Amino acid sequence: MENIWIKIGYALLTIFIVLNYGLLLQGLFRKIGARVGRRHGIRIWQPWVDIIKNYTFRSRIYHGVMYYLGPVFRLTGGIGLLLFLPVIYGSEMFSNFSFTGDLMLVLYFQFFGVLGMALGAGESGHPYSAIGVSRGLSQVTAFELPLTLGVLAIGLQYHTLNINEIVAAQQGSILNWTFFTNPFAAAAMLLSFLGAMGRSPFDVVLAPQEIPIGPPTEFNSSLLGVLQLNRAIFPVAKLILFMNLLFGGATNWGELIIKTFFIYFWSVFVGIAFPRFRVDQSVRWFLSIPLILGVIAIILIKF
Amino acid sequence: MVTPVYLVVSLLGIAFALGILGKPLRKVAGVITLATMAFASYISVSWFMGLWFGEQSAAMVFTAGFRPPFSINLLMGFEEAFFLSLVNLAGLFGTLFLYRTLMKSGVNAFVILLILIMGLNVIIMTRDLFNLFVFMEISSIATAGIIILNPHQKTISAGFKYMLATGIVAGILLLGIIFFYHFTGTLNLDDTIRVNIEAWKGITVALFFILIAVIVELKPFPANGWGLDVYESVPGGIGMLISTASASAMLYVVYKLLPIAPPVFFQILTTIGIGTFFFSNLLALKQTHPNRLLGYSSVGQIGLITGVIGLSHFLGNQFGLIAASLLISHYLAKAGLFWISGILNKTHIREWSVIRQNRLLLFLFSLFVFLLLGFPPFPAFYGKWELIMQLAGSGQFFWLGAILVASLLEGVYLFRWLGYAMKLEAPAGEPLRVGWNQYIPLGIFGLATFVTGYYATHLSSYGSLINLIPLAFALGFFLIDFLPVYIKNTLAIAGMGFYFYYLYPDLNGFDMVFSAIFLVGGILTLLAGYAYKGKRIGFYPTALMMFAGLIGLVEAKTTLEFFFAWEVMTAGSYFLIIRGKKSMEHALSYMLFSLGGAYLILAGFSLASIGQSTIVLDILATAPLYAPLIFILLAIGFMTKTASIGLHIWLPGAHAEAETDVSPMVSSILLKAGVFGLIILIIRMGEQHLGSLSILYILSWIGAITAVLGNLMAAFQEDAKRLLAYSSIGVLGYILFGLALFSHLGWLAAIAIAVTHFLFKALLFLAIGGVVWRLKTKEMYRMGGLITRMPFTFISVLIGIIVLAGIPPLSGFAGKWIFTNAVIEKEWFFQGALISFAGIIAFLYCFRLIHTIFLGQLKDEHRKVNEAPFWILAPQYIILIIVMVFSVLPNSLLHPIGEMLKPYFPDGALTWQGQYATSIFGYWNGTWVMYVVVAIFLLVFLWLWFMNRKAYRVKQFNIVFAAERPFRPETTHFAYNFFAPYKKAIGFLAEPGVTRFWGHVSEGSHAIAELIRRIYSGNGQVYLFQIMAFIVVVYLISFGGF
Amino acid sequence: MHWFSLEYIAMNLGFLLILIGLWGIITRKNILRIIISFSLFDTGTHIVIVAIGYIRNRTAPILDTLALQKDTASKIVDPLPQALVLTAIVIGLGVTALLLVYAMKLFETKKTLDIHRFNDLKW
Repeated sequence: MENIWIKIGYALLTIFIVLNYGLLLQGLFRKIGARVGRRHGIRIWQPWVDIIKNYTFRSRIYHGVMYYLGPVFRLTGGIGLLLFLPVIYGSEMFSNFSFTGDLMLVLYFQFFGVLGMALGAGESGHPYSAIGVSRGLSQVTAFELPLTLGVLAIGLQYHTLNINEIVAAQQGSILNWTFFTNPFAAAAMLLSFLGAMGRSPFDVVLAPQEIPIGPPTEFNSSLLGVLQLNRAIFPVAKLILFMNLLFGGATNWGELIIKTFFIYFWSVFVGIAFPRFRVDQSVRWFLSIPLILGVIAIILIKF
Repeated sequence: MVTPVYLVVSLLGIAFALGILGKPLRKVAGVITLATMAFASYISVSWFMGLWFGEQSAAMVFTAGFRPPFSINLLMGFEEAFFLSLVNLAGLFGTLFLYRTLMKSGVNAFVILLILIMGLNVIIMTRDLFNLFVFMEISSIATAGIIILNPHQKTISAGFKYMLATGIVAGILLLGIIFFYHFTGTLNLDDTIRVNIEAWKGITVALFFILIAVIVELKPFPANGWGLDVYESVPGGIGMLISTASASAMLYVVYKLLPIAPPVFFQILTTIGIGTFFFSNLLALKQTHPNRLLGYSSVGQIGLITGVIGLSHFLGNQFGLIAASLLISHYLAKAGLFWISGILNKTHIREWSVIRQNRLLLFLFSLFVFLLLGFPPFPAFYGKWELIMQLAGSGQFFWLGAILVASLLEGVYLFRWLGYAMKLEAPAGEPLRVGWNQYIPLGIFGLATFVTGYYATHLSSYGSLINLIPLAFALGFFLIDFLPVYIKNTLAIAGMGFYFYYLYPDLNGFDMVFSAIFLVGGILTLLAGYAYKGKRIGFYPTALMMFAGLIGLVEAKTTLEFFFAWEVMTAGSYFLIIRGKKSMEHALSYMLFSLGGAYLILAGFSLASIGQSTIVLDILATAPLYAPLIFILLAIGFMTKTASIGLHIWLPGAHAEAETDVSPMVSSILLKAGVFGLIILIIRMGEQHLGSLSILYILSWIGAITAVLGNLMAAFQEDAKRLLAYSSIGVLGYILFGLALFSHLGWLAAIAIAVTHFLFKALLFLAIGGVVWRLKTKEMYRMGGLITRMPFTFISVLIGIIVLAGIPPLSGFAGKWIFTNAVIEKEWFFQGALISFAGIIAFLYCFRLIHTIFLGQLKDEHRKVNEAPFWILAPQYIILIIVMVFSVLPNSLLHPIGEMLKPYFPDGALTWQGQYATSIFGYWNGTWVMYVVVAIFLLVFLWLWFMNRKAYRVKQFNIVFAAERPFRPETTHFAYNFFAPYKKAIGFLAEPGVTRFWGHVSEGSHAIAELIRRIYSGNGQVYLFQIMAFIVVVYLISFGGF
Repeated sequence: MHWFSLEYIAMNLGFLLILIGLWGIITRKNILRIIISFSLFDTGTHIVIVAIGYIRNRTAPILDTLALQKDTASKIVDPLPQALVLTAIVIGLGVTALLLVYAMKLFETKKTLDIHRFNDLKW
């Protein structure tokens, strides 16, 4: 049981690294986005400043117990997702708590935070929060279907749902990556990934550019701070997941940072290039091209 | 033993005496008549008993001192005694029922009644053809005389049509008889039986005339308009005599003539009989007049028995039991129903809701309906069972199908009627008055249903296997229904607890799991019953009947026991469901799907029993013929209960409109009966193929589509209980899919989900039921913000939806994890992906459920709402504890189920090391997941709490709202049509296409019925033409070489 | 059997009456005519019965002469149909009487004897 304390230490270290990396990515990509739009953009350390600012507000209000717990659920979901993943391939310690469950646990645990947060937002009584949740859940269901097909294709391809084994099977050469060995599944999953990241064209949930809408509408001060922590950790956890599934994982932090950067860049690239979908449009879209790609992946792998 | 000639002597003598001494005896005529009929009944019943117990042998009475053929002889055999008892008892109680009416009509009324009964007695006993003719005429004249007692224009015209029809028929009979005499030289049946009939040329025509005349007297379709008109126009008490006494006697005539009938006659009887059964029930769909409806039903039932007589060659030594039980059921039920109709005296079945003024009458009404439809424990149940078994055994599939379809049609109108009586607004009018002379016959016939049912159980070949104790326990609650709820509830819980304790040592495997769901689950949901005040009349007998049926399924070793339990469960649950305020249509559609399903199951069992020497359930495994067909029949039958897509339309209404504690019973417990049936089926029959296509593969698609559509429809509901009901459809889709996987993991998932579904659906239905209890509305958008008013209920719902959604760390995730492993193992990816898609759609309605009710804006009218009653919360928290144990220690649930499955599926089991489970593909440690999640949660919470310690709580409307204060909660609570964009995108999938399909089926059959019944134009001449055309057509078809 | 023999004619006549009666019952509108047609039908059957019992060159089964009392069976026609026909006539009478009663009652209710006016009960 001494082992467990070391594990906890490494887990905290992982969280710390990922948090800062996540905040850096946030700042970086806001900057890139602004420059593409020919604006000057924020300072790159602005995300750190925002968090500190939120924790130091003097007026702090809350709407009820569930409202208070919403951000807790959200951040628990983000951190849990990270800790259930093997972050660095081959490192027992940076595999954190991935021994407790396989790919399915990770996929389903994503929703722990989402739903908890949705409940918290619901108690605020703000209609925009509820509208955001309605939109978000609608999109989630839609991109889950191609994602599931992709995951099943990978499960069949490697005959395992153990993420470590999936990563292990991709070692040796770039051409061993699932991205190349199972291109249709990868394509379906990467399109679903766009939905999971919630950037344009699938950002109607939060609609960040105009009126404040979406689940966080009513959150303020420390509560918003907790949400911002999650906003740094959760996307990186998802990036690590996709990196592990499609791009051969990472054997050290440097590799991890390079690979996840480019995966993130994919969603940013699409987001900057394409305008926003309405919810019904995005639902239909996910159920068209990505779904067909997923079906092709299954057919190819099965026959 | 009194010699049977006294039957004739006493009835005729008293009739003459009353006729002659009419006036002076006016006051006592009724009593004398009753005494005479009682005497006649005594004679016939004592003969019947004597012959049954073998103390007596059949007796022949010779009149006029000569031996036949020079005189008329009467036979008193076993069958005769049976039919005489029926006729005389009907006469006795029928007269008693009509006593007051008849007293007003005067002495002659009694005379005519006596003559009628006397005529029927002789018809049954006589062995002389001409004598038969004479007494048939006497009876029909007497009947016409009774009809005219009621001086109403409609009655008179009906009587006139009746007279004309029977007159023509008698003429034809007479012609037949005289030619018969011409060819054989005798009129005596016993004589002619000895003569080799085939040797006589031309005798076929004579025989045809005799037989067809007798058949027309039975009112076969379509030559029966005259009979139906009579049924409609006469008062119930007289309709009863025609339907029971006259019809029984005429049936016996058909039976009696069988020995002289040529072989082709049997086919004619079958075709006419079952055709009549089918068409009468079809046409009755459009009927609204109670007496005419009963008339259709009578004609139909008699048709069925006629058909059974025609099929007697195929029924072997079961023929007697089948015919007698069907006849007794018809006899008791029709008598009772006609009597009730006589008491109520209404002209539209919708007006029968006045029956609710008198609970005893309502009870009897339902009793007779269930008796008529062959529900257990009544005699027709065994009759129908044996009939179907024997028909399947002798390959008569066409008739088997026709009988089942027609029975279903019968169920449609009878249950619709029963529903009207139980649920419609009662029309204003005078209060019901029921005389003692009306109670006595009704009561005796009501009791007789149980007595005959008991005897039928013992007479049927396997009936003695059936365990009647749970059912008797349930029915016993009818006797103590006057006690307050808490006593009955305690008794019920104690009884079920004791039964579980009693069964426990013998339980293992699937039986253990399902009896736990049925009995322990039943006790949990019954706990909520303490929240009710008063007596809750009718709840406990029917609820316990359902549980008796459910546990009977588990205990069943034979197909008969299984079917018995299935029907008991259906009957009980029907009454539970119809208790809901707006449940009339839903209970009807539930019942019809259940009936249809039950008949498919019956057909499946009957096919499985072909060529096998026993009826244990294992014959499914060894069925030599039609195995795929058997599988399909049974699977569809069970899927009506699991509400798979296409057969699901009954469920949402039935579950949503039910009472607070009934919803969890029917949703979380009753649905598992279908699952249990499927398990029994698949475990025994394994994988069946249609050509090269595996049926299980088809089932897997049905399951997957059910899951997606069920969940999708749930997401679009505004009504909270309806939402949960649709969600049940979805979850049952997962279970069906899991069973179809037919692998260790698939079944592990299916059974684990079955158990968790029981837990979370009971939890959610109780919780939502508690909310509805307080708020008096089920519309979610009318609620909102209730978390502060009902925090305990909120916690229940929260845990319930997390389990439902399958989100780790709670136990619902186990199902998802195992499913994915099973899907990859089986390589059914597309169905698997749909199942997983359905799981995500579940998030939509889960969130909606908790958000629109408990979060958002509290409405002004709910500011003072209280927490749900203690007794509704209590079972929820017991369930919560179980859920948490299963979540923290997943192997406490999954490991035993896995062990239980190993004998059937040795490969692919999970490997357990403590709580660490490994499958072929992956691994999962539920306890550690829980530890990690709780630890992170606590850390984050403490961090936030520390940072946010000075936060204060704001009031409801204090939100960022464009610097405005929201207008009112109703406009601020985002709830109605919550997933509008989603509906826009893929809402077309949730269109009620299936409902529309069944609507068309229903409308179509009603339209056909409406079209066909136009043949009964009401014109006496048309009726006569129909009779003649009928005779000609039957002749041409049977003898003309068509 | 001979073309113009008595029993043959009687038999044919009987059946003819039966058919006429049935035709009348089905086509006539007036209830009284229907009842008369019924009587025709009934009478037809009676004649058929008698015709069947008739045996050529034999006498009625009334044993009033001494000659008949010896070797009776070969001298008389079949007595049974004759006995039956008596019963049948009586019954026919009863039925007809009751039909007439009905006709009277029907007339009382609607002041008409047109059978098409009594179609209230149907379907």
